[in-house]
Amino acid sequence: MQQYIIRRAVLNVFVLFIVATMVFFAVQVLPGNFATQQFASANLGGVTPESIARAESVLGLDKPVVAQYGTFLWDLVQFDLGESFRSKRSVWSELGRAVPYSMELGFLIVLVGFSIAIPVGILSAVHQDKLPDYVLRGGAIFALAAPVFWTASIAVIFVLKWDLFKIDVTGQPHLWENPQTALQWYLIPMFAGGIAGTATTMRLLRSQMLEVLRQDYVVTARAKGLRERTIIMRHALRNAWLPVLTVMGLTIATIIGSQIVLEQMFNIPGVGRLLFQSIFLRDTPLLEGLVLVVAFVVVFTNLFVDVLYGLLDPRVRLA
Amino acid sequence: MTTPDTSAALPFEEHASALERIGSGPRSLGRFLVQKKLGGLGLVIVIFFTVITILSGVVDRYEPDFIFDRDNPGFLANPTIPQLAADPDIGSPRVVDQFIEPSSKHWFGTDKFGRDIYSRVIHGTKLSLIIGFGASLIAVVSGLIIGVVSAYYLGWLDLIIQRAIDAVYAFPFIVLILLIVQIAEPSTRNVVIALGFGGIPFATRLVRSATLSVRGAEYVQAARVIGATDLRIMVRHVLPNIGAVLIIAFSIGIGAFILAEATISFLGAGPRGEISWGKMVSTGRAALDLHPWESVFAGSAITLLVMAFNLLGDAMRDVLDPRLRGR
Repeated sequence: MQQYIIRRAVLNVFVLFIVATMVFFAVQVLPGNFATQQFASANLGGVTPESIARAESVLGLDKPVVAQYGTFLWDLVQFDLGESFRSKRSVWSELGRAVPYSMELGFLIVLVGFSIAIPVGILSAVHQDKLPDYVLRGGAIFALAAPVFWTASIAVIFVLKWDLFKIDVTGQPHLWENPQTALQWYLIPMFAGGIAGTATTMRLLRSQMLEVLRQDYVVTARAKGLRERTIIMRHALRNAWLPVLTVMGLTIATIIGSQIVLEQMFNIPGVGRLLFQSIFLRDTPLLEGLVLVVAFVVVFTNLFVDVLYGLLDPRVRLA
Repeated sequence: MTTPDTSAALPFEEHASALERIGSGPRSLGRFLVQKKLGGLGLVIVIFFTVITILSGVVDRYEPDFIFDRDNPGFLANPTIPQLAADPDIGSPRVVDQFIEPSSKHWFGTDKFGRDIYSRVIHGTKLSLIIGFGASLIAVVSGLIIGVVSAYYLGWLDLIIQRAIDAVYAFPFIVLILLIVQIAEPSTRNVVIALGFGGIPFATRLVRSATLSVRGAEYVQAARVIGATDLRIMVRHVLPNIGAVLIIAFSIGIGAFILAEATISFLGAGPRGEISWGKMVSTGRAALDLHPWESVFAGSAITLLVMAFNLLGDAMRDVLDPRLRGR
């Protein structure tokens, strides 16, 4: 077990190294850099090639690519992500500001996703091929196909039309600072993201439940005269939900994807929104740091889920 | 004169390929529609959208870029400054027919610029279909080559290839697409390439695990014993036996890529100069509370088409490889 974790962790570090290299060279081949983008967006008169060159030398963008790559890697092994070109603050402090917002939203999305997917998956399996099953599966098919930005937009239409609640996108409070305003702000993105992430989990849970409900021990439990509720919760669900856990690791990438869009739409200053801005501003150190953090979360969530799976199910041998 | 014995030229280990299981011809298509009702529905919707794309010039009713306008009832030739401040349009004899509600003239209404939304939704179909098929084709073909080679040779090569695949997978998908699209100009072709590249990890993983399950099979060992080259084994023995996985990956990929294109277009980084449903949802948000129709119809079109491809993909998976059900 320990060896397995260590081996996987080492491989993950190697994966992160490839990610770092990919993002570094992707930024290199992008047309323009922070200096040219800044002057282009500022649209100032009197921008000369000299002033751009001066800005580039201040930022270190005039050094040869190999030297820049070397510095980047050397700083990286010391966990130094550099400082953002735009804000002049260290990438770590930018992350410190953005990550809590993204974690809040991500947590709420996962919460909504699971609290819909689990009961719906069970109900759908228990009423297989009856009306509730068809309705719920139809809902899942819809949820899988509808783009998050669209469902979120539609939700905004109704909230505005019926004046359901106020969405304040300027205050940007955390949940623990101003729970009510924050929750109203997060409500639509968390449901849009949660519903989009629900479908896969729900469908897998349904098919697992169907398989388990056919097993001998469920028949035995029924023969013993146990209540249907006990059979489903104690005998079936316990054995069906483990494989569902593994999709958690896969859905994390999907959730991060929808977070980028949702943070952009609702002005949530999280990692996704910062990523989006840093691409267009060519804020290289910030972009590199953000991509690495996201990649870190993805690979280590997957490792965590695999290890958890091994711990919870003794039949699974990790090697 | 003896006729050449062609049977010897046939591969001796001919096995029923996955394709034969669904058969071909109109009869088995009919069977597919009856047995897999949802899949059949998906197929019908896909065909419907394909026909719309081909006949877009016939069914569109208006030019997608035509700007509708009408006479300005309150037109004044020489308005005073306070009059202009009260109504900025007062000085122009004709005004744009913007944000018209759905009617018999404009089935889906008009957008902010006075263009017919129905016509634009019709013309947006083409881009989604090109993106879906093109990107899925690139992803599956690359995934096929990488996945088969990786699983066939295993060892160090496999370890390194798989880490690279993990890295592409861990890279936030939308960021990857935004970066690649920006390297060159955002044309339809470049978006297709970017999305196809981003989809390689998914295709590779499916192909790799399918290849792993056939590489130890007896017919592969037999072929190796009689001295077949690696390339021959991969092309003649492995490939036909992972055909089902390829078709499944291809059909499921299409919906995902259409959704991804809509997302980057919504974010403003989609193919430039093309009518895109994702972009329409975005422009429709300008006046969402009062005039939601552009967003509503464009988003419905995305959902319907993606749903159709998902249903079709699910049904094909059930028919071709029942073991993958529910995955």
